[in-house]
Amino acid sequence: MIEFKNVSSVYGDGFIALSAIDLTIEDGDFVSIVGPAGAGKSTLLRLLIKELEPSDGEVLVDGVSLANVHRADIPLLRRKIGTVFQDFKLLASKNAYENVAFALEMTGASDDQIAEDVPKVLAIVGLADKMTNFPHQMSGGEKQRLAIARALIHRPRIMLADEPTGNLDLVNSHDVLQLLKKIHSLGTTVIMVTHNRDLVNSLEKRVITMEKGKIVRDQKSGGKYVI
Amino acid sequence: MRSGWTNFKRNSYVSFGTTGVMALVLFVFLGLMTLNVVANSITQSIEDKVDVSVYFKTTTAEEDILKIQKDIEALPAVSYVEYISREQAFEDFKARHAGNALIQESLAELDDNPLQASVNIKAKDSSEYAGIANYLEGTRFRALIEKINFYENEQVIARVQNISKGLRSWGMATTLLLSIIAVLVTFNTVRLTIYTQHQEIEIMRLVGGSNWHIRAPFLVEGVLYGLFASLLALAVFYPALSFISADVADKIPGAELSKYFIIHAPQTVLTVLAIGVILGVVSSTIAIRRFLRI
Repeated sequence: MIEFKNVSSVYGDGFIALSAIDLTIEDGDFVSIVGPAGAGKSTLLRLLIKELEPSDGEVLVDGVSLANVHRADIPLLRRKIGTVFQDFKLLASKNAYENVAFALEMTGASDDQIAEDVPKVLAIVGLADKMTNFPHQMSGGEKQRLAIARALIHRPRIMLADEPTGNLDLVNSHDVLQLLKKIHSLGTTVIMVTHNRDLVNSLEKRVITMEKGKIVRDQKSGGKYVI
Repeated sequence: MRSGWTNFKRNSYVSFGTTGVMALVLFVFLGLMTLNVVANSITQSIEDKVDVSVYFKTTTAEEDILKIQKDIEALPAVSYVEYISREQAFEDFKARHAGNALIQESLAELDDNPLQASVNIKAKDSSEYAGIANYLEGTRFRALIEKINFYENEQVIARVQNISKGLRSWGMATTLLLSIIAVLVTFNTVRLTIYTQHQEIEIMRLVGGSNWHIRAPFLVEGVLYGLFASLLALAVFYPALSFISADVADKIPGAELSKYFIIHAPQTVLTVLAIGVILGVVSSTIAIRRFLRI
């Protein structure tokens, strides 16, 4: 369970990204966060992986306040939470297999484990036959699926997707969404920030609408993109 | 580990520069060590030559001199006393100038032996000479003594020690200054690598790479700069040493640099490696602390 309790976030230049947010996301939810640019959607995600500290209030993951997560334990938190971005953040110098393996190497996994897990997760996202392709040899949709594979490698319980379809065409966006739904159906909490109206409307799940650092609408189910 | 090596390899030009500057520092440091060895061997050889020579008035009877010799031998600080009689001194002098006809002729014309009897005293330690000279000044036989030849040597020793001390502190200052420059250069190089790899670092953080995994490559990079710089400095130092060693040995007897540094090779190599690695680690650590956000 994820809880935001009276969370505010003010950037160094005085810009108020979030003001007094209260939000609870249950395990196994599929939540879409929508709203105009600068509404604080990405800030919400960055707080969750402790890339940012809230200026005020408390963020809890599974009942543990992130303020109490020690610096050395931040990597453990981030392994519990998979992240996917609009710009994929893949390493151009590594092929598909290596990009995923890299995430495991960073945790000190053994070579045997890497050789076993990486092909499996690539198969889940449908890239089993593109293991030796480099990112520049892949389409946008494939890159995003690769990024999702990398996020999945630690078997995260929470998946954050920041504009995952922002750079993709309609068909690829649909593929990525299907993949996120598949991941969700396996019991993972998915939080997706998006601008894609059709995507949100087709999901018919919980939709949170943000504006100027505040939650202006929270539709618990069958939510629609309304701005 | 592997990525540290990759960092080092990839920007080879910058790596060259960094390694070069650091090698220069280590080379200066080695030069300082050499200087130290030279200075020590100079002081040593002068100290070895130092003795106190007591010259007696020509009128002094031999028994008195032998008595004085006994007295001096009884001193705890004295290791060795040699008596040279007037005749002995005369023979020595003749022998020393055997090739010089003029001197030989003049000597033949002398009625009397003009040379003085003397006693050469060696102390166990060079610091004892002052005490021995003092003792002789105060002895009951002082009236028989023409001259105590000690003070000149003392000044020479003091001068050599002063010069070597001065050289050492200047060398230290230079090494320190260069070390700071080397740390700054290395620090900047590592910072550059951190900057060019900000994308990789960001991804490492996102996928939950442990702090150690993120930092280690940059630390390894710094260590590599130190290691290569040490090896470079040593590779230049030893040939250079054998090059100048013969020259130095010519001018300063007893200063066998090559031999000294070959005998002390393990210590020298280890010291230089240690300093190089420490410089590298310090530089990387500063860069990581300041520019690598976890």
